[in-house]
Formats: sequence, structure tokens, C-alpha cells
Amino acid sequence: MTDPIRDEWYPVALVSQLGPEGRDTRLLGEPVRVAWQDGAIIVTSGGHTLPSQQRYGHVWACPGTPARPLFDIPEADQPGRRLVDVGLVRVKCSPLRAVENFLDIAHFPFVHTDILGAEPHTEVGKYDVAIREEVDEVWATKVHFYQPQAAKSAAGGITTEYMYRVPAPTVSILYKTCPPRPGEWDVITLFVQPLDEELCEVWPWMALFDDDTPMTDLIHFQQTIFLQDRSILENQLPHRLPLDPGMEIPTRADLTSIAYRRWLKRRGYTYGAQLVAA
Amino acid sequence: MILYDYALSPDCYKIRLLAALTGAKLTLRAVDFHPGGEHRSPAFLAINPGGTIPVMQDGTLTLTDSAAILTFVAAKSGPAWLGDDSPEMRARVAQWLAFAQRLSASIGKARTHDMLQKPADIVACRKAGVQCLREIEAALVERHLTGDAFLAGNRPTLADIACFPHSMLAPDGGISVDPYPAIRLWTRSVRALPGFIEMPGIHRLHDLKPEPVGVPE
Amino acid sequence: MPDWTPVALLRDLPPLVVMPVTVDGVDLALWRSASGRIAAWADRCPHRGMRLSHGFVRGEALSCIYHGWSYAQSGQCQRIPAHPDLEPPEAIRVPVHHATEAGGVIWVALDTVTTAPPALAGVQPLRSVTLDARFDPASAGLTESGGAWRGTLGGVAVAVLVQPLPDNRCALHVLAESKASPTDLVAASRGIETLRRQAEGVSA
Repeated sequence: MTDPIRDEWYPVALVSQLGPEGRDTRLLGEPVRVAWQDGAIIVTSGGHTLPSQQRYGHVWACPGTPARPLFDIPEADQPGRRLVDVGLVRVKCSPLRAVENFLDIAHFPFVHTDILGAEPHTEVGKYDVAIREEVDEVWATKVHFYQPQAAKSAAGGITTEYMYRVPAPTVSILYKTCPPRPGEWDVITLFVQPLDEELCEVWPWMALFDDDTPMTDLIHFQQTIFLQDRSILENQLPHRLPLDPGMEIPTRADLTSIAYRRWLKRRGYTYGAQLVAA
Repeated sequence: MILYDYALSPDCYKIRLLAALTGAKLTLRAVDFHPGGEHRSPAFLAINPGGTIPVMQDGTLTLTDSAAILTFVAAKSGPAWLGDDSPEMRARVAQWLAFAQRLSASIGKARTHDMLQKPADIVACRKAGVQCLREIEAALVERHLTGDAFLAGNRPTLADIACFPHSMLAPDGGISVDPYPAIRLWTRSVRALPGFIEMPGIHRLHDLKPEPVGVPE
Repeated sequence: MPDWTPVALLRDLPPLVVMPVTVDGVDLALWRSASGRIAAWADRCPHRGMRLSHGFVRGEALSCIYHGWSYAQSGQCQRIPAHPDLEPPEAIRVPVHHATEAGGVIWVALDTVTTAPPALAGVQPLRSVTLDARFDPASAGLTESGGAWRGTLGGVAVAVLVQPLPDNRCALHVLAESKASPTDLVAASRGIETLRRQAEGVSA
């Protein structure tokens, strides 16, 4: 029998930071160990070896039987990009709340003030959202927003264009205007490891065109952004993401979140979700 | 003045905050504390054998203690922050600079444990953190009763800069700041200072800005 | 039967401040507008569930820190920054409870109450403290009189109001006799610390 939750791929470690001692962690409430064995990385849980692979700087594991291959990010292999391992941040929130926040732009002026947004430039214009049936992914495109400092490489305020993509229930990828390389997109991801339904570890990762900014500055920039979100994520009630309408009231700016919730429900992905309005 | 800095470190933020408040110019060198562990690298240990951040270099001077760095920046760029109005104020500043080490050892450790999975005795850290917040709260109450709004007296000093960041960031380590009304008002006063800068987990006061009217082009 | 619960000293809630309080196990955002009006609301933004006690006050409205949605005194959403031209639908409303001030103390009731909270006379606000323990005023040598527990702390006559909190915790809102000097009040504040240590020590 297939289980839509267990049959997904989840990040469990950063390859570059996995020392000889390995890493003891959790996945969907179960203890998991990531370790080196004969020069390879293996992931075990409850005495079993889990399907695992290394991609996008991280070790990925599947607690069940993989329903499909790990999603593809073609830009990861594009020459000239710098791949940035931002490192884990633990958050006391539903893994789905972490993903949904990453899909949201309307909070930029209030949570990432003077970096990703600033009053009075708060308006979210119309954008396109679709569940792309052929790939079974959520996509938002033509998202525009005014940003005081869109990236470490941005010198001043610009209107940034975004595309958002949800290729797996606990993964979000954003493509955004790349200041030094017009015509290309910077790729910024949020890989979320669900420890429990209300606890997760978040692994941001980036593939950028930026030859000038020191790597550590790129890491600090992204950690700064995500840590600004953390105090929001730990204070949302209910802690689990409500998938049924009624508990929370969205507007047009929330179309991506609405599609994400609908897609999760349709796929039967309920880990970290709340199904009936309390 | 070169500051070896980490964006998420409250002890590094103190220095950046004081520099912003005094107009001191810092050259920031980002240290990959997490995930890279650069503070344990041979190159960094050659600068600070203790392997801690922040570190400040100015000419041949190297400082590795945040209280010492705060004192240096204040002495150079904003002597009023040293709190030399009276022997009492000066002594209080010294006391809170020392107290801040207890904050780093309790709330600071709880925070890196909960956020970045660094090792710590989390129960002991939280308990010590609560005790620290209670002591700050009691001290602020006593200052208010005698007419002062800040930790060392009637104006902000290094005492406030040293203790403010961890007092606000305690929730990052699972320590509530809800039970401390005097801390709430004091941290608002610090955030209202001209030139104040924020760090992740410490929001600016949006109420200082008027509600926008009309829609920008 | 619904009744008033003491939640804070007025002095600790100056205009433009918002703080979280708990009444009968319900989390509330207690806030004060620029003109001084006090309100106690459900501590949850209807949009994405963010705690409103993390928000900010501008003028007579409370805004959520997450997306800046602002709510008027009635609890009705009045502005959604993502859609500056949109008149927010009436359905977007925060549940509003009763809050009032009497004798330097802020009192909250979840439902309508017919009585007024006690107005303590002859006292000045001292401080509020939270105890990680239950508190038995009688065993601490306090006696009930005129809607508060009376006794002396640090040699100063005090009136103590007890606010029960979840998890066997409580908050004490302490007022001291009007004639107490700043030096007396410092002694009384230290007396409260001693009282807390005793209460928590007994329950440990």
C-alpha cells in the first residue's frame, strides 16, 4: 500500500557538513541516522536502510517506497552558478507552515523590512497560479514586488519578478530576478525536513549568479531572511496548517497558498496539517 | 575597526548596534559560524585562540570579549555610552557588562541549541535564563521607582546595549518574555533610540512610522 | 459566572503598547491606542493565525506584524496593505472582549459582566510578577478585604490581586499604600521577590 507521506523524499543532512560521527535526526517522528559507510552515505531507521541519494548539496531519504524520482532543478547544473549551502535552522512549527510562508510575498514589508519590502510599497498585484497536472506541481508566475534590497548583490531598490514552484509537499523553490545577469533567474530553495507534525528543520539552499559576494555573506544574507520568518512561524495558531477553508481568511495575494493547501489535500498529504476547523 | 561578525549572533549584534547608535564605522568580516564552523578553523584561531566571536581588530589591538569591544567602541566614538555621570552609574555599567556574560551562557546557549542544534543542557540553560530575566526585570522596576528608565540610570548606556539583545531573543531558545512588563517597556525604549538597527528576531517598532496614506506609483 | 480578571497594571500598558495576557485559559492581545483606549482581543489574526500580541499600534488601530492587516476598535479589519484599495469584507473581524481600567489596574472579562471591578483606594501601582507556582494568599499571611488581598511586604502595606494562569502558574498585581516613598517601594518590590521564592520553593 502506498502512503503519500512516507513515499516522499526528504532532506536529512548537508553533505558538506556530515562529519565522521554522522548525524542522528528524526523524520516523520521516527529516529533516523545518517552516516558514512565505506565512503558512501547511508540512511537508516529502525534497523532498515532507507532509499537515499545526494543532490543539491543535501542527503535525501525516503521512509517508504519512493513514489517518483527526486524533483529536478535543471539550474543546479548550469555552469557559472554558485551553489550555497545555507545550513539548517530548527523551527517549532508545522513543516507545511514553513513552506507556505516561503510562498508568501505580502509579509515582506513587515517582516523583512527594508530588505525584501518596505512601506508604502505593500501592494501585491495580480499573478498567475496553477497546479500543473502534467508534473503534479504548484506554480505561481508573474509575481512582481518592489524590493529595497532584493539580493546581496542588489545595490538599490528594484521591482523584482518571482516565480514559485512547489515540486514536493515540503519543498519550495523560488526563481527571482537576478540583478547581475538580466534574463537569468536566481534559484533559492527551502528544503524542509519534517521531524514531527509541529517541528521541522529547514535547509535553505541557493544556486546564484553572483561572482562578487563572498560565500559567507551570501549565507548570512539568507540566514538573516529566514530567521526573520522564524519568530512568525513559531507564533501562528493553530500550529498545524488548516487545509479546510473557514479557519483562516485569505485574499487575492494568497492565491499561491490557496493552491498549495488544495494540492496538499488532494494528494492526501496531511502530515502537519489540520483537517477540520477547530 | 574590523569586526569579525555573524549575522545571527547577539554578541556581534551588540557591537553593530552600538556602532550604529554612535556613528562608528565598522568594517565587517563575516565569519561562517554556522554551518561552516569557521570559528574553529586554523586561520580564525590564529586571530582568536579562544575560537569565539565577536572579535575586533584595530591596528595592532585585538579584542575578543564583547564587553571590552563595546567599551572600546564607546570610548572612541561615543564616550557618553560609558556612563561616567557618577560613580554609581559607572559601577552599574560595569556590573551589567559582566551580567551580560550570564545571559550569553544561558539564553544564548538555549537559543543556539533550539535554533541551530548546538549542544547544550537545555533545561539548565532555560532555568538560568529565566533567573537572569527576573533579575533584569527587578532591577528595571527599582530604576523606574527612582525615576530612571534605563539599567544604569536616566539615560541609555553600554549596560542597556549589553543586555538588550538576549533579553529580546529569549523566545528563540524557548524562554518566554511575556511575564516581564518592565523589560517590555525598556526594550521598546532601546528600539526607539535614534539610529537603532535590528537583527533577525528583533523587529523594529513599526508604530514609529505613520500608516501610509494613498497608493505609491 | 463571568467576572473581571486583573491582567496588568495600567502603568505597564502606556499608549501604543500591545502585550499578551491570558484570561480563563484564553490567550488575548491587550493593547492601548494612541488616545489611551484599552482593548482585549483574541490573540490571533483571522488571516494566517499570527498572534496579534506581536503586532503594532498606530493611532487607534492594532496591526498584525505578519502582513500589516490593521483592525479598528470594533475588531473590524480596516486595511489590508497587500490590497490598499480594497475595502476589507465585514467577515474579517477579531473577537473583542471587555477591558476596563479601575484604580490603576486593567481588568478583562471574556463576556458581559454586570458588576464593576473593584476600585482600590489609597494605593499606588507597584509591579506585576508571574509565579511558576500556585499562590495561596492566606498562607503568605495576606487577608482578603475590599476585593484584594492585604498585608505587608518589605514593611509596606500592600494590596495583591491574583490572576490565575494555565499550568498551575499565576500572576500577582501588587499595589502599595499611597504614602509609600520610592525607598519603601523598592523594599516592597524586593519583598515580592522573596514571596515568589517562597511560593515556588513550596511547590517544587
